[in-house]
Amino acid sequence: MPEPVGFFTDTTVCIGCKACQVACHQWNDLPAGRGERTSLPVLSGDSYDNTGSFSDVNWRHVKFIEKFSPDPNRREAAWLMMSDVCKHCVNAPCLEVCPTGAILRTEFDTVYIHEPACNGCRDCISACPFGVIHMSETQHVAQKCTFCYDRLQHNLAPACAQACPTQSIVFGTQDQLQRRARERLDQLHRDGVSEAYLYGADESVLGGLNAFYLLVDRPETYGLPSNPQLPSRRVPASSLWSILTALLAALGMLFAFRDRTKRSGQAAPNPPSSETSTPHPTEGRA
Amino acid sequence: MNLFVADPDWGWWIVGYFFLGGIAAGCYFIASLLELFGQAEDQALARLGYCIAFPLVLVCGLFLVLDLNRPERFWHMLLQSEVVHEAFEQGWPWSAAGWEWMVYAPMLKEWSPMSIGAWAVFLFGGFSFASCWAGVWPAGRIARLLNWRVLRWPWRLAGSGVGFFVASYTGVLLAATNQPIWSQTDWLGALFLCSATSTALAALVLLGRRPHVRDRLWRLDRAEIGAVGLELVVFLVFLVSLWSWLPALLSFPMGWLLVGAPLTVGMAIPLALRLGWLGTRLARPLVHATLVLAGGFLLRYAVVMTPPALLEHRRAITVEAAGESRTPAGWFVVSPEDSRPRDGGEGASALNRPPALEPRSKVFVADEGDKVTR
Repeated sequence: MPEPVGFFTDTTVCIGCKACQVACHQWNDLPAGRGERTSLPVLSGDSYDNTGSFSDVNWRHVKFIEKFSPDPNRREAAWLMMSDVCKHCVNAPCLEVCPTGAILRTEFDTVYIHEPACNGCRDCISACPFGVIHMSETQHVAQKCTFCYDRLQHNLAPACAQACPTQSIVFGTQDQLQRRARERLDQLHRDGVSEAYLYGADESVLGGLNAFYLLVDRPETYGLPSNPQLPSRRVPASSLWSILTALLAALGMLFAFRDRTKRSGQAAPNPPSSETSTPHPTEGRA
Repeated sequence: MNLFVADPDWGWWIVGYFFLGGIAAGCYFIASLLELFGQAEDQALARLGYCIAFPLVLVCGLFLVLDLNRPERFWHMLLQSEVVHEAFEQGWPWSAAGWEWMVYAPMLKEWSPMSIGAWAVFLFGGFSFASCWAGVWPAGRIARLLNWRVLRWPWRLAGSGVGFFVASYTGVLLAATNQPIWSQTDWLGALFLCSATSTALAALVLLGRRPHVRDRLWRLDRAEIGAVGLELVVFLVFLVSLWSWLPALLSFPMGWLLVGAPLTVGMAIPLALRLGWLGTRLARPLVHATLVLAGGFLLRYAVVMTPPALLEHRRAITVEAAGESRTPAGWFVVSPEDSRPRDGGEGASALNRPPALEPRSKVFVADEGDKVTR
């Protein structure tokens, strides 16, 4: 049985070259645009981040996060860069809710969409807390990073990790990655970068993220939720309130129906039981 | 509130399904309760309930299929597509081996509201079909079967149970996501159930204006007031559960629609009319029934459309509101995915696994052990 694998992404050494994005497009035959009408990429015009977000054809997304000092002239400016990807969560919300069983966990502990089973219900999109999954406009099924499952099956590293020139994206087994991430974190702390921390390396985020990150700012700055949740955790409480409300509604209706039954069973039923054109009681008020 | 999610693009088909599905489910359980606890004269009203429920559930099924990006694969919700393919490979239905596969084909993830909801809608279709048939042909074989002493109570109670489920699971389904607002409250299921009851009563009042039925509509009077009153209370609790997010919600028009429209159009005004607080000129069943229906539709529309609108305005929402996230309780584990350890097996993905996953690949294997990529 293969060991669980993952990505350790050290955002402090990302230079925003987008080699990972290009490699992902190239290996997976992803077009530059989305379909026939937009066959060329559209420049955002306000950032070097021209793809803007994940999409059905952008399974990797290099974020350029512009940070400015709060003074009116914005004297200090800096970029945070981060190559974002599906996190292949240990407790995966998309996989949990998928009603067709199209989202599967592989022998490498990664999360994979088996396209022939997907019917495009989009429940996985609503469940993913990272906005990773999108619908293909050409195949009409859910799309996301496959962790280069085909390459893993042949003992090859995923295309993005292989292309990364600064080793910001490191591929390996979880044991190797965890060790390497701790060493890097210790090194940064020793060098005075006290704000550095690991996001998703431990169980606190969805049981752990197989693709985890070294960050130097709040998760939200990078467009990552600080405490995403598994959808099923909402089910018990929501169901309980629904059941109690259903019981209340049923009892209310029984009361409404039964009470009138008793009254109409008495000597003077109200309203009359004639089947002619008896008006609705409320209409009498008009 | 997590504003980093993608929009699932659930639009008009889903709004229509939530609205009509609620009316269908409500009509069914009201009709069942009337049959069980009403008088002999109420049977015509009960039949009307069944005859509203069945066509509507058909329309709902159509809406759900049309909403899928691959409508021809709608059956994947109910059957494991990989298992069905394997059964056909084994010669189903002409071979024992095919049947051995087929018996394992049903697809059910009981922790996923959409999965269990698909079965509930399917079952509800069966219940409403049989009851509607019995209503249209009261002397027929199906009617005699459903009124058989042994079946009379169990059938109606089971049908009502499925009806209540269909009326409320849609709200639980929205809560079981990571979308803003939907996943922020535990009250959507209860709210949809109340709305299903009130809109179903309103539909019965509107469609029941004909001989034999019209004379019995007074039976619904107090139920109507009670249903709208309960909906009002649950709606207020729903708003309280979103209290810390109300400023963000009220910073754009759709948020105002969610907070204001169902409350006024569908609950406060009809209730005030019903209780005679707004004079008598407009206090007609047609007026408040129409308002309740309009309010129920606005509720579904605003609930479904608010998260996409919120995501569109995400840059304008304060960082504090965006940054906070409610800690999940996790007090009752329903899913094998919950608390699954790293490398802890298939988790929630045990169903519908093909014998071997063979992804599209550019890896070219020249001969064993010698891999070449192009």
